[in-house]
Amino acid sequence: MDFDLKSLHPLEIRLLRHVATNEDITAERISSDLSYNLGQCNQTFSWLSAKSYIEESSRELRTLYEITGTGKEYISAGIPEQRIVDLLKSGGPLKMPDIAGALGLENKDVGSAFGQLSKEGVLKMDSEKRVVVIEGNLPERISILGSLLKRGMEQGLIDESCLSAEELSVIKSNSKKRGASTSPFKIIEREDLVYRLTDNGGKVKKLLLEQGLTGEEVGALTPEMLSSGSWKGKDFREYNINTPPNRVLLGRRNPYSQYLQWVKDKLSSLGFEEFDGPLVETEFWNGDALFMPQFHSARDIHDVYYLKNAASAKEIEQPWLDQVAETHENGWKTGSRGWGYEFDRDFTRRQVLRSQGTVLSAKQLHKAKIPGKYFGVARCFRYDQVDATHGADFYQTEGIVLGEDVNLRTLLGLLKMFAEEIAGAEEVRYVPGYFPFTEPSIEVHIKHPVLGWFELGGSGIFRPEVTEAMGIDVPVLAWGLGIDRMALMHLGLNDLRELFTPNIENVRLRRSK
Amino acid sequence: MPKIEVNREKFYGLIGKNYTNDQLEALLPCAKAELDGVDEAEGLLKIELNDTNRPDLWSTSGLARQLRVYKGGVRPEYSFFSNSGNSLDSGERVVKVDPGIKATRPYMAAFAITGKAINDSTLKDLIQTQEKLCWNYGRKRKSIAMGIYRSDLIKYPVLYSAADPDTTKFIPLGMDREMTLREIIRDHPKGQEFGHIVAKDDKFPFITDSAGSVLSFSPVINSSEIGAVEVGDENLFIELTGTDLPSLILTASIVACDLADDGFTILPVRVEYSYDTSLGRSITTPFYFQKDISVDVNYARKLLGSDLSAEEMTAALERMGIKPSLKGSEISIEVPEYRNDFLHSVDIIEDIMMGRGMDSFDPVMPSDSTVGRISPEEEFARKAKDILIGLGFQEMIYNYLGSRKDYIDKMNITGDELIQIVNPMTENYEFVRGSIIPSMLNSEAISANAVYPHSIFEIGKVAYLDSDDISGTVTRNSLGFMSADRNEGYNQVSSSVSALFYYLNRDYELKEMDDPRFIKGRSARVIYMGRAVGVFGEVSPGVLENWGIQMPATCCEIDLDLLMEE
Repeated sequence: MDFDLKSLHPLEIRLLRHVATNEDITAERISSDLSYNLGQCNQTFSWLSAKSYIEESSRELRTLYEITGTGKEYISAGIPEQRIVDLLKSGGPLKMPDIAGALGLENKDVGSAFGQLSKEGVLKMDSEKRVVVIEGNLPERISILGSLLKRGMEQGLIDESCLSAEELSVIKSNSKKRGASTSPFKIIEREDLVYRLTDNGGKVKKLLLEQGLTGEEVGALTPEMLSSGSWKGKDFREYNINTPPNRVLLGRRNPYSQYLQWVKDKLSSLGFEEFDGPLVETEFWNGDALFMPQFHSARDIHDVYYLKNAASAKEIEQPWLDQVAETHENGWKTGSRGWGYEFDRDFTRRQVLRSQGTVLSAKQLHKAKIPGKYFGVARCFRYDQVDATHGADFYQTEGIVLGEDVNLRTLLGLLKMFAEEIAGAEEVRYVPGYFPFTEPSIEVHIKHPVLGWFELGGSGIFRPEVTEAMGIDVPVLAWGLGIDRMALMHLGLNDLRELFTPNIENVRLRRSK
Repeated sequence: MPKIEVNREKFYGLIGKNYTNDQLEALLPCAKAELDGVDEAEGLLKIELNDTNRPDLWSTSGLARQLRVYKGGVRPEYSFFSNSGNSLDSGERVVKVDPGIKATRPYMAAFAITGKAINDSTLKDLIQTQEKLCWNYGRKRKSIAMGIYRSDLIKYPVLYSAADPDTTKFIPLGMDREMTLREIIRDHPKGQEFGHIVAKDDKFPFITDSAGSVLSFSPVINSSEIGAVEVGDENLFIELTGTDLPSLILTASIVACDLADDGFTILPVRVEYSYDTSLGRSITTPFYFQKDISVDVNYARKLLGSDLSAEEMTAALERMGIKPSLKGSEISIEVPEYRNDFLHSVDIIEDIMMGRGMDSFDPVMPSDSTVGRISPEEEFARKAKDILIGLGFQEMIYNYLGSRKDYIDKMNITGDELIQIVNPMTENYEFVRGSIIPSMLNSEAISANAVYPHSIFEIGKVAYLDSDDISGTVTRNSLGFMSADRNEGYNQVSSSVSALFYYLNRDYELKEMDDPRFIKGRSARVIYMGRAVGVFGEVSPGVLENWGIQMPATCCEIDLDLLMEE
């Protein structure tokens, strides 16, 4: 069996070193031998019992006497009987109330002292109801009480077993069990426990002696020890390094936001510049500029949130409005035949909560650098029931690449790069997809080491109706990544709502992989 | 995205070949479709269609046609189409469109089928196609609705008109008594579902035959007699009404081609309008209205990043069921009768890509070199986050939508600046947050069990009304932090503000304020470069009580966009 000496407190070490097998270990002994106070004794016994290094061998009831405040007054002013006799001796016979008045005693106390002393033949009452001294010597009990009081002052507690029969009789008649402040002594009953070293206790003691651990080793190192150099030549108490540490409440990032930051940094490192935009957008940028016909079913009221106040923007910037409107109507100069309907210029000013990150791409087009790469991590809003896979609002990660270099094969290359760099994919599969604003459109499915096959994102080349209406005549690749599933996996969660939890403790305890 | 169920036996019968589920899964991308599930017991395949511009794929016959031709099958020829130069003979099958309907639901397309009895799987398919087309493509019947009738009971010509909703009555399907059109939209289940499409009009679309028998109250419900089609019926009349002529005619063409593939004979119907349409006053449907479209081979090569020959491109298009012809460097295509998704030459290029298959295009890395960077706002936010973390705050991320109760009532504010949603899903998500403070107090309210002290922050967006902006709103990057603890108070939050501004290298002044969210005299407005950029202080006990918070708390909120300025 291994004994963990490092978990022993110095009080335990000193006790174990001090006692031998088969010796009684009592609080009285330890406090007198090792100068532990009673609290330290009891604490040390309890620690050592819990470790089974000592065990209880017997327990006995002891009666102790403690001097009270009244007792202390007796010492300073004298015992009342003594004072009464002294007063009468020097001042002659007196009536009882006069005695009480002269000595500052209660009438009843004077009465009971007289009763006792007259029985013992020391005092008597004369015909004028005055108290008279008959016998000059006081009974022995008074002197015994005097010496007991003195002992009580010196020792604190007087053990009944240390008293003679006479002393016991005197102290009993001058004590009460509790609350009796009028008695000079208080009775304290105590269960006295006796311990013995166990076999393990003996072995630990042996180990302590062998290793020279005394319990006198230095605990905390203090600035004073350093400045005085008193630490030199001292041993330091060794700690149990496996003691559970206390909890620390620290300032820290939210792991989800940290993951989004990681994605942003990753995209920046791949040559993408970040863009951002407002939460409120017009139908123009949210859909029309992306060549989604105004009668597209995704435009119906149940898919986006409309605003009660600020329902419409004051105007849409030109020349984009005219160019987009004409592109919808007849294709404008984009080579398209358009959707062939009359573009609604009131509808286009209607405002919605941004429903797709592609808005940012649409708005970036006319101010973009060529060649250029852009990304945004955009909070979007969809009219959906909130559940484990749909949040009231959520992040979309999207972007564009502009340049003569853009074509289907570079699009596949970009998706492959995302799959490997951002998702750590092992295999990549491309599938024709559909988005209203790209043609051709590709979905990328990846085999993730943990999640298996899933759709990482969508991509495509913006339709010329989108780019040319914004004055861009190079191909533009648009892409979007569904990183929520990876974020959940990264955080060990399976409910999208958890990403935005307001619960402080959940966030504090959350870790990422 | 529409999902359809197809009868496996019929489906593979139409394709002419059986596939395992795995083989089918590998083939479906040529139709932008995915196998969503298999019901082995019923022999049903569940398939999801991803292309909203290819409604021809949303049926058993249509999807089978795409796969069959893709795998080398012959593209069917359809001889029942009229076009602008040639109207086929419709015999007695004529529909007359009354001028009264022009303002509300002006268009109709129709045809009849014959040749064999309808069986259970055809009827199921027909109902499914009707549902998918009218729901997804027809915007829940708003722009397209379809009706199927027993043509043996119809006395031509059919009349499409606008009827008075209160005096016109008939027995609708599913009922055993006459109801007025008004009663139908109020009491009939279909009326309750679709009545809103017509409810605001004075007169409702109504279809009868020349004998006055009712076909239907379009787009809501058929009549219980002519409009009750059953398995075993041999001759059917199919009509579609709607608001957009090309999509209506296309839908009729799709249904007709599907039924032709299924072995029915399609009989044309002439629709005579009493007003002009983009295709004239008399249109015999099914009608081919699509125009040829072409693509330059070099443009296709550039966009595909591939040096395919013109012949390889035309071969790819043929696999997609398209008839191409090559003139010089131009490939011109005849658009299939059941498609209308070629708006631009890029649409042909995608079909070339799909006809070739994705495996024939190797990924290459884009070679343009560009400089990447995060936005200045993100950079500034990260600086602020570092400082707050050093101050011991835990970062949070919150949703941006909330309730009136949380954003306004509990905060003791009027909320005049808040952006309200006109069509909220529930009252829990009715407002856009204009401040981070309610988000943080909500955290505190539900976190009383978490060990104190609580110190949290968020950097995120807030938005509110602002009449100076062209949109009437502004979105801001905002920083909020909150502490709650037994001894939390003004001095602590003031120290945090001071440390934050010091390390962001910004000077600030404080002004006293009277803000119902905070205790007066223990809260301050933060002034930076002469402008108010934020507030902080001890949260008012009234506000804490509203939230059920029993711990003193301080909050601070700073507009980072204003603070960024130098």
